[in-house]
Amino acid sequence: MRLRSLSLAAAAAALLSPGLALAARAAPPGAGLPWWAWPLILFVTTFLMGIVAVVGGIGGGVLFVPIVGGFFPFHLDFVRGAGLMLALCGALSSGPGLLRGGLASLRLAMPLALAGSIGGIVGALVGLALPTRIVQVALGITVLAIAALMWHTRNSGQDASHAADRWALALGLHGRFHDPAVGAHVEWNAHRTGLGLAAFFGIGIVGGLFGLGAGWANVPALNLLMGVPLKLAVGTSGLAISIINTSAAWVYMNKGALLPILIAPSILGVMLGARVGVRVLKAIKAATARNVIIAVLVAAGVRSLLQGLGA
Amino acid sequence: MPVSTPERRTEQEAYAHWLAWGVRLGFSALVGTFFLYVTGLVPAGVAPERLPELWGLPVDAYIAATGAPTGWSWVHRLGEGDLLNLVGVAILAATSIACHLRVLPLFMRSRERALAAICVAQVIVLGAAAAGIF
Repeated sequence: MRLRSLSLAAAAAALLSPGLALAARAAPPGAGLPWWAWPLILFVTTFLMGIVAVVGGIGGGVLFVPIVGGFFPFHLDFVRGAGLMLALCGALSSGPGLLRGGLASLRLAMPLALAGSIGGIVGALVGLALPTRIVQVALGITVLAIAALMWHTRNSGQDASHAADRWALALGLHGRFHDPAVGAHVEWNAHRTGLGLAAFFGIGIVGGLFGLGAGWANVPALNLLMGVPLKLAVGTSGLAISIINTSAAWVYMNKGALLPILIAPSILGVMLGARVGVRVLKAIKAATARNVIIAVLVAAGVRSLLQGLGA
Repeated sequence: MPVSTPERRTEQEAYAHWLAWGVRLGFSALVGTFFLYVTGLVPAGVAPERLPELWGLPVDAYIAATGAPTGWSWVHRLGEGDLLNLVGVAILAATSIACHLRVLPLFMRSRERALAAICVAQVIVLGAAAAGIF
């Protein structure tokens, strides 16, 4: 059964990006294809990313930079800038619904996002100052680590309640939310707030450095470290990303690292794909989609690593 | 037993309301100006036909080759289709700042000084990033 699931993952990973093989062969960059073909290929690729990301329960931002950075002719500086905008747009657009539905907590997101946005600025400045090869190697290692984290935490998640710590009490990081799945109110308290702030600062650096959405790290930090119920952690993570990525996005914009030809097609592709993904979600097992994502991340991570090492 | 107070819901609602408008406005501007750019209705500063030989360059080399603007100087060149597209990006990136400014008076009114201070600090951090101080 597991073998079948992994085979499906490998097959779907191969199908995920029809432009990848074409893109990987393009040397010198862009040779043989008219300029307008690339935004189209990017749109199709990000559309498929959007579907897979929703079904796998992650943001499209974490797939975008490794895949587009590894297989498309665009420089990593512009890919990271577009990746940040992609993650930002996804997070911003889901924010109102999450807040109104009580599935995200503004007061929980605010202090964590402050730490994360300072980290995001540091990461963006470091990322744009470092040589591309070093960033590629670091990206490859990070993406492989994300894949390993996703593999090991695929069945984890805890909703045990904890006593709030001093900082959580001072900031009012507690409350209750309505979980429609169980039809009941869930009480929650945050704890280990200091560690959570440190974690979000670090996550912000990684997000700004590589242009990745950070839901893969935010959710475990909120749920496993701070004791926030999983559903609230997922919603609050999205809200935090919408603030954290803003700081890094401004740095990339001011440094001239946002290339318009990449941004709109990517955002449109992922957003439309996410809408389709919500429907596909009913027909496909989340575990299969998660295996697809892990397989894609491993392939993209290895490619980034090899590119950085000049192999 | 801790519960969500009405004030908290008010803050969330106010933040969500401004966020929704910011996203609508920013996304419409992003898509609309991109259409003007790729169709050539507003001529681009860097012609799309030249992009395949340029988009593989690091950002510093790209700027040197094209004279693309840094900081806020793009605002003076909104007649160029590619730079006009940054209006949507700027609106989206400014939305969180506006949302924090919206909820700041609510936290002050309810005397939640810690959250009000975080709100002010966040606006300063994002404002500094937007101003290009870093």
